[in-house]
Amino acid sequence: MKSNISIYILACLMSFGAFAQLDRSVMPKPGPAPKISLDKPQEFKLTNGLTVMIVEDNKLPRVSYSLNIDNKPASYGKKAGVESITAGMMGNGTSTIPKEEFNERVDFLGARLNFGSSSAFASGLSKYSEEILNLLADAAINPLLTEEEFEKVKAQSLDGLKGQAKDVSAVASRVSAALSYGKNHPYGEFATEETVNNITFNDVISYNESAYNPDNAYLVVVGDIDYETIKKQIEESFGEWKKSIAVDYSVRKAKPNERYQQINFIDMPNAVQSEITVTNNVDLEMKDPDYHAVLITNKIFGGGFNSYLNMNLREKHGYTYGARSYVGSDEYASRFTAGAAVRNEVTDSAVVQTLEELKRIKTEPVEQDLLKNAKAKYVGDFVLALESPQTIAQYALNIKLNDLPEDFYSTYLEKINAVTTDDVQKMANKYFKTDEARIVVVGKGSEVIENLEKTNIPIRYFDKYANNTEKPKYEVEMPADINVEKVMQAYISAIGGKENLEKVNSVFITAEAEFQPGMMLNLEMKTTDKIQSTTKLTGMGQTIMKSVVDGDSGYMVMQGQKKELSAEELDETKIEAVPFPELDNYGGTASLETIEKVDGKDAYKININEKKTVYYDVESGLKIKQVEKTPMGESVLMYSDYQKVGNIMFPFGMSQAVGPQKFDFKVKEIKVNEGVSDADFD
Amino acid sequence: MKKIKLVLSFLSLTIGFLSNAQKVDFKEFDLENGLHVIMHQDNKAPVVTVGVMYDVGGKDLGGSTDAPRTGFAHFFEHLLFEGTKNIDRGEWFTIVSSNGGSNNANTSQDRTYYYEVFPSNNLELGLWMESERMLHPVIDTVGVNTQNEVVKEEKRLRYDNSPYGQLLFAIAENLFDKHPYKHKNIGEMEDIDASTLEEFQDYFKKFYAPNNAVLVVTGDIDYGKTEALVKKYFKDIPKGNQPSRIFPEEKPITETKEATFYDPNIQIPAIVAAYRTPGWKERDAYILNMVSAYLSDGKSSKLYKKIVDDKKMALQVAAVNLGQRDYGIYALFGLPLGDTNLDALLAEMDEEIVKMQNELISEKDYQKLQNKFENQFVNSNSGVEGIASSLATYYLLYDDVNLINTELDIYRSITRQEIQDVVKKYLNPNQRVEIKYIPKEDAE
Repeated sequence: MKSNISIYILACLMSFGAFAQLDRSVMPKPGPAPKISLDKPQEFKLTNGLTVMIVEDNKLPRVSYSLNIDNKPASYGKKAGVESITAGMMGNGTSTIPKEEFNERVDFLGARLNFGSSSAFASGLSKYSEEILNLLADAAINPLLTEEEFEKVKAQSLDGLKGQAKDVSAVASRVSAALSYGKNHPYGEFATEETVNNITFNDVISYNESAYNPDNAYLVVVGDIDYETIKKQIEESFGEWKKSIAVDYSVRKAKPNERYQQINFIDMPNAVQSEITVTNNVDLEMKDPDYHAVLITNKIFGGGFNSYLNMNLREKHGYTYGARSYVGSDEYASRFTAGAAVRNEVTDSAVVQTLEELKRIKTEPVEQDLLKNAKAKYVGDFVLALESPQTIAQYALNIKLNDLPEDFYSTYLEKINAVTTDDVQKMANKYFKTDEARIVVVGKGSEVIENLEKTNIPIRYFDKYANNTEKPKYEVEMPADINVEKVMQAYISAIGGKENLEKVNSVFITAEAEFQPGMMLNLEMKTTDKIQSTTKLTGMGQTIMKSVVDGDSGYMVMQGQKKELSAEELDETKIEAVPFPELDNYGGTASLETIEKVDGKDAYKININEKKTVYYDVESGLKIKQVEKTPMGESVLMYSDYQKVGNIMFPFGMSQAVGPQKFDFKVKEIKVNEGVSDADFD
Repeated sequence: MKKIKLVLSFLSLTIGFLSNAQKVDFKEFDLENGLHVIMHQDNKAPVVTVGVMYDVGGKDLGGSTDAPRTGFAHFFEHLLFEGTKNIDRGEWFTIVSSNGGSNNANTSQDRTYYYEVFPSNNLELGLWMESERMLHPVIDTVGVNTQNEVVKEEKRLRYDNSPYGQLLFAIAENLFDKHPYKHKNIGEMEDIDASTLEEFQDYFKKFYAPNNAVLVVTGDIDYGKTEALVKKYFKDIPKGNQPSRIFPEEKPITETKEATFYDPNIQIPAIVAAYRTPGWKERDAYILNMVSAYLSDGKSSKLYKKIVDDKKMALQVAAVNLGQRDYGIYALFGLPLGDTNLDALLAEMDEEIVKMQNELISEKDYQKLQNKFENQFVNSNSGVEGIASSLATYYLLYDDVNLINTELDIYRSITRQEIQDVVKKYLNPNQRVEIKYIPKEDAE
């Protein structure tokens, strides 16, 4: 009996369970994997070399033709842009059909017909399939190329270039390709106003003759057509296509990668976002054994939404709308690129985080789950792509164009699934060459350069056409009523006021800086209101440098050698041989030049003479920077940490940099009106 | 140039969800909570699409009447990927891609659409995910703050840093005075910054209930099994209040309005003439689509042939009908070539409009239009992903899901006389805004 009851209870529970609330916390499991079948297009070849691939798909009453001419990439140097001008001229009539009639006919059929520099595409309703085919063939084989059309397309092309001038992302892609491959490589070359102006009508004619040839051409037909019928039509329409004499040439090699990691900065003042591209050239083709593993590695790094790169830059930090990476595969040249468009103020952080993620994928093994997910995404994409009838044609074409084994796509998923954790780390190290990478940043320099400099990655500057250039300088518009006297007055009142300053007869400053750990440099400076000044630098018990000015004479001692100052040198030095040269506008020689940024703050730039410049903070009035041209290069002195001594503020931080040397002097003591005598200036 | 074309193709996208070619079979049913469900079976490839379209868009402001907030629907497009009670933050995309799928969402002034495409063995997963999003998404400060930054970057990327990216803003703010179509769909960033968590939660309650949405499932499915699965995941989601909206009516424009807009990302100016036209359900809106095709679709179209090709006055010209639910935007657009001035360019475009007002278009051109629309119709729903979106759109926004099969009939029935009448009725200079969209010099 007992056992019977438990069966009842069990039965009750079971039926109860069947009507229970759905357990939403359990994610549904996938059903059995769908079967996929990979068909092949039907194929034939014309005697002139044109290969034709046909996919019959009767779902919709339409047809598409795509013509692809597999030319080697070429560069056109001073005539860069000739390919796109030619493309723009094509599809506007044939030797027997005038332009107006041709365009009218294409539109009347409701068809589309587009030409690229070595490709063409046509589509429309299948009831017009033969006429569309004939229009395409005629326009490809016997294009009507006229001078008038040439002039028009050229003018449009020039204006198009103009339209791109301020387009940050267009500039970014142009410059990063040009820097990576080299401006004279086919993939790095770009058209400019100058090169387009160099192109003549004859250039277009000869380009067209060399580019449009049947022997390396492929025509893919997909749609509601019948194989036998379309085959006959193609033989008729494309059969007359003759090959012109082709000149073989070798394709120039892409530039090697740089020897050190560097930022390449391009300034665009209108940018509200910086376009960042971390890039290096890679040697990779689809047929390489590494190919599938590289795809997976890139997918994990930056190939999708939940990649290292995007999860960091977008989801964790909110720097960008999206961050992605790509690895190209190409017989002639290709590269790895990783990047994002980020707002100006986080440009440097985004660079740093991108490099961090690169380090991560190169040094840490990828989690099993992430690897599994990346593979699953490839499998899914492969399945989803099968919905389009174009896919199997594209696969067949890829096999031919990239010299792939016949089973490339039938073994594709198997190879994707075989990629290991170890492979990912290896591929990342082999193809993501962080140490040789260019970090191309196109952005608003005035807002981003200063922070980029803090990354300590060397920065090289380029213009919008990938030419080397100088670091941009930024000026801020000055108020109309400002002049040098006002800047001086602002400084004087900021540090204590004219009345207090005029009571000062002498100032005696001692400061020290650490030269090497444990080794101190001592600085002693004395000035009086009688045009007297002495500066003495000692270290390790020795005098390194001493300079003295006393009215109309002065000398300098360096490494034991004494040298009298020339009249000219004396004139320059005398100006500052007083406690506060601002009191008389540096002897009247100072002039206000402009406002510049100093450490992110606006500062008045005051020229004292040809060699010396002083900067005063616009907001606080304080002197913050002094630049002097010396034979060893620019000597920059930064003032900071103003503190009160009596009634007057003095800078207690003085940091001096000459070339790569930098000394941070900290003031130990300042004496006003004491500790100085005429004997100090002997 | 690429960018410019993009802008135009974006505008023309909305010319028509011109519906589909052959007959698209579909089945519909309703759940008790008001969720309407549409299924379309196509077993050709092992692929399914699961999509939900909510009747909420940019025009539906958040906040309160005193402090209205723009950009809420678009912000929710982001926010509703942040996770649900059973899907952890950041997991949404991982679940989709690790099951071989892809997903996306988009928002217009009138609606928001979320969808996933999966290999067909993951149909149930897709339904679970969309039901999770509808039932109990996590709306908290962390999610709001993250997406706030992302949306700001999206705005910079798409509009502020993009040549001609602010064209539509310039048109909308000048064409609409009271109706919320005047606002940017992506919203003002200050509005999002100022919004409270409570405002976001209220907005969800108001607009994202099953009775304000339609669920579509298309592709390699079985009708019976799919219906059972839909019920399993969606039937217990509580019904919400039906949101009511009354938007102010715009007064007709009777005098030409002139405006200037400065874009720092361009060097070639543009001229736009924009007219306020009827909402997309109206027959006149369909006729205006034909007017657009007549004027600027293809190399033999009137504006292109005359202004770009023959007279070489413009780099590009376009006439687009941007369809929306309450009012459409009809716009003439031109990019001058060389030193053509903007007024001269507009005058050239006007000349063609006047011709259309004075005489019927030719029989041959009429036939050409018919062929063009047939071709569009055939191509408009070639994949199960596109069919899903069209079914949802026709149901939710056009109130007639069968338009997916019958829309071409509307175009076929339009006469040459109707075309002339519509141009006369809507496209007059005194009914429009003329915008000079010009380069802003470097602000340094």
